Amino acid sequence: MSVDTNKPTSSNWWKWFDFRARDVGTWAFILNRLSALGLVLYLFLHLIALGQLVQGPQAWENFLNFAKNPIIMIGELLVIIGGIYHGLNGIRIGFATFGRSTPQQKQAFYAVIVVTIIASAVFAYRLFT
Amino acid sequence: MSTKWNITLVVYRQKGGAAPYYDEFKMEVNPDEYVLDAVERVWAFHDRSLCFAHACHHSTCGACGMRVNGVEKLTCITLIREVTSDGGTMKVEPLRNFPVISDLSVDMGSLFTRMDQIGHRSVLPVSEEPAGEKSPVLPQAQEEEYTRLSDCIECGMCISACPVATTTADYLGPAVLAGAYQHGVNGDMSLISMVDNADGVWRCHHAFECNEVCPSFVDPGTKIMDLRKAVIRERFRGLFGSR
Amino acid sequence: MIETKSSPKPNEGMWLWLIKMVSGLLIILFLLIHFIINHMTGSAGGGQLSFREILQMYTSPAYILLEALFLVTVISHGLIGLRAVILDLNPARKVMKVIDPVLLILGIGSVIYGIWLLYAVASLAA
Repeated sequence: MSVDTNKPTSSNWWKWFDFRARDVGTWAFILNRLSALGLVLYLFLHLIALGQLVQGPQAWENFLNFAKNPIIMIGELLVIIGGIYHGLNGIRIGFATFGRSTPQQKQAFYAVIVVTIIASAVFAYRLFT
Repeated sequence: MSTKWNITLVVYRQKGGAAPYYDEFKMEVNPDEYVLDAVERVWAFHDRSLCFAHACHHSTCGACGMRVNGVEKLTCITLIREVTSDGGTMKVEPLRNFPVISDLSVDMGSLFTRMDQIGHRSVLPVSEEPAGEKSPVLPQAQEEEYTRLSDCIECGMCISACPVATTTADYLGPAVLAGAYQHGVNGDMSLISMVDNADGVWRCHHAFECNEVCPSFVDPGTKIMDLRKAVIRERFRGLFGSR
Repeated sequence: MIETKSSPKPNEGMWLWLIKMVSGLLIILFLLIHFIINHMTGSAGGGQLSFREILQMYTSPAYILLEALFLVTVISHGLIGLRAVILDLNPARKVMKVIDPVLLILGIGSVIYGIWLLYAVASLAA
């Protein structure tokens, strides 16, 4: 009787990131998921990169010079921003679960964004000057 | 003299397995009427084949939930002036995450079945679900005697708004989890098993869209968090043998 | 009983979720220390440490322990979180029967690799 369109399906995954007609909590969820996936990718890259240490000082120097490439440094800044946001939002989620959920979770999100922006500016300055 | 607005109503249409499309209707409406009134007028005067669900027209039955300009609304209590302006557009679509039966009407069978399974009570004592500031103050001694209709009207809007429900039909969803919390999990191991799994209370990712769209003060997101605490408490009590 | 395809075991979600919460909290602590020690004190510029400075730190057993604990918490939190994202896609039970061991092996393998790396670099310092 009913058709298959509009049913939940895994091919709707892009809709996780559709923030139109959605409220603050969805933006938090989207940023959390994006930063999570980015950080997991970074984690494994970081572990592999550290393997250069056992190749000796020259290999390490080469790696450090490679890492001074502006694209890599922008990537590192994104990791820092993602990590700060993910951690702060995680704290917000912890409070939402074990304390009062609403409406404070919305104000908490705005606070998380403000702190993330300030901290990102500080680290961007440190990285690029 | 009542105001009249000229708006364009854009309505989602879908029949059988055919591809969905949108119909446009230019209408003159009173902005203090409700979105449901406009939809009904389309059915009455323009297109008798338009299919939509509605019953009580006063936010008790939960039938008329739809997406208006992308946001879940209970259309019988949503004023037209809240969602558009004179000369503007009002887009009406069915709820997400439920299979479409026809046009704006969706199949919410899975929701109703699950609400039964977790034992959601639609009528219960006031003492168990106080209406708070929304109701007149009852004399303390008499509160035991009074029953009321549960806040949750099973409209399905929370499930439509939930990002997790978009990709998996197995997720119990905010309404069901809030209903389980209402029923009470203390000592009820079979109910706890139903909600304590990866498709139950742990699947929630705290988008809290459910709280945003609930027309009925249920705050399902908050109840999911409370249910988590209740489940953890019960599981730890089971671990340390005090049952 | 409500039929669910991807995770029929009750009580499984709770422990993984609690580990995610606790490890998340610990990561905030460990990350702060790790970041300050490793990226805010270097002479090589831009937060980078030279080879000699790194070996210097590896002479401290407390540092090695800290890094090992940090690795375990980060891997746990990250892979449990990754699993949660995969579960959101509603995979069939037989798919999860493959993905769960893969994630477990990936996690344990990464921790073993990391601890080996810690000892390998520490022995360079000795």
